[in-house]
Amino acid sequence: MENRFGIPKTLFEDYLLFSTKRSWLLLKRGQHIETASHLKVSKVGLRTFQRVGSFVKPTTRFIQTFGRFASKGKLQINMEQLQILLKGGEIPVDLKLDNGYVILSTEEDRVLGLGFLINGKIRSQLPKKEIRSAMLNMTSNKTIVSQN
Amino acid sequence: MTGLFETYSEIIPEFSLFQERLQRPIPTHLRINRLLIEPASLVHLLENKGVQLIRSSQRYDTLYLAPGLASPGNLLEYFLGYIHPQALTSAIASIALTPRENSCLLDMCAAPGGKSAHCAQIMNNTGLIVSNDLYTNRHISLGHTLSRLGVLNAVVTGYQAQEFPLKQRFDYVLADVPCSCEGKFRKTRDTSSYRENKGREKLSVLQKKIILRGFDLLQENGQMLYATCTYNPEENESIVDLLLKERDAELLPIDVGFDFEPGITEWKDKKYDKRLKNAVRFYPHRLDSVGFFMARIGRRR
Repeated sequence: MENRFGIPKTLFEDYLLFSTKRSWLLLKRGQHIETASHLKVSKVGLRTFQRVGSFVKPTTRFIQTFGRFASKGKLQINMEQLQILLKGGEIPVDLKLDNGYVILSTEEDRVLGLGFLINGKIRSQLPKKEIRSAMLNMTSNKTIVSQN
Repeated sequence: MTGLFETYSEIIPEFSLFQERLQRPIPTHLRINRLLIEPASLVHLLENKGVQLIRSSQRYDTLYLAPGLASPGNLLEYFLGYIHPQALTSAIASIALTPRENSCLLDMCAAPGGKSAHCAQIMNNTGLIVSNDLYTNRHISLGHTLSRLGVLNAVVTGYQAQEFPLKQRFDYVLADVPCSCEGKFRKTRDTSSYRENKGREKLSVLQKKIILRGFDLLQENGQMLYATCTYNPEENESIVDLLLKERDAELLPIDVGFDFEPGITEWKDKKYDKRLKNAVRFYPHRLDSVGFFMARIGRRR
C-alpha cells in the first residue's frame, strides 16, 4: 500500500490484521479484543484484501475507507468515464505507473474504488452490481428529486 | 376515522391526530456517516445535485430529512457509504445510548446493521461492537452495511439473543427486539410489516427473555437500551416492568431533544412500576417517523 499508493504503514498501527484462506480482515486494536476471542464469530472487522487467483486484491470498501490517504497511484475520472468503465470498456490514460491497481476517484476527489492499469489503459475493478445506472445519471445541477 | 389502533385511544394523546398522521407515508430520513465524510461536505455535495436536505435537529448534525427523495439507495453517495437511509427514531436509539469511545457494546438483534454502524460512528470506530443476529442469512446484509459504512471495530456473531453467552460483560447493550412493528404502519401501503394479534404472546415471551439476558450481560456501570417499534404496552412497559421486578435495575432518563411522551404506568387492568415514566414513546404525530419505545436501563447502585 505504501509503495503503490503512498498510504503510510503507520496508519495501520492501531489495527490487527487477521487472515483466512482467501482474505485478510482489519479490526481496530483495543482492550476488548479478548471479549471477541471468547465468542463464535462469523465476521471480523473490514475485509481488506482477497485472494483472486494468484493475486491479492484490495477490496473496494477498504480502498473507500483508506484511499483518501493515498498520495499517488490515483486517478480522477468523470461520470462519462465511469460509465464506460462500468460497461466493461477501457479508458486510455497517461500515468507514470507500472501496470497494476489504481485508485479511482470522482472529480470531487471521492474515492470510488479500484481500476486496473494495463499498458496505458484502465479497466474497472468496481463492483458493477452495486453501482446502479441511476447513480450515474445524477450529476451536478441536475434535479433528481421527485415531484409530488 | 375508526379502526386504526383504537385499542390505544386512551394512552395515545391527541388520538385523532395520530390516526390522521397514519394516512401519510413515513418521510425519508438520512443519517450522514461521519466515519467517511464530514456532514457539511455531504450536504454541499447533495445540494449540488438538487437534493434538498433539512436538518432534523439542531443538536445533531448528521440527521436529515430528505423530502421528495424517493430512493436514497440510488445516490452514488449511498454506494460510497456517505449516507444511510434510516428512520429518525432508529437513529435516536443509538443516540439515547451514546456509547463512549473505547467501550464494549453488544447489539443483540443487530441485522441489518444500521444501529451498530451508528454506534460505531458515535464511538469513532474505537472499542469493540459485537453485532449479533440469530439468523445467519441476515449476516450478509449485516456485514454489507457494516463494511459499506466503513465500520472497523465490529465483529458479527450468530447467537440467540436470549442465550448470548454470559462469559463476558459489556459496557453497553442495545436490545432492539423483535416486535409487532406497529410503529411502521402507515395506511398508504397495501401491506404492512406489522403483525396482527396472532403470535404476539410468543413475542412477549421472547422479549422478556432477551431483556433479562441483556441486563445480565451488563458491566457494573453498564447501560442497556431496550427498544421496540411498537405501541403495544405488553411488548414495552410490561417487559421493562418484569425486569424491574426480577433484577436490581434502574430506569435512567433519556434526553435526546426530540418530542416524546413518557412511558405509561397503567394499561387496561395492569399497573406498571412508576419508574416507567422515564421510558419514552415516540408517536408519528409528534415526531414524523416510525413509532418507537425506548427504555434506558442501568444497574441499581
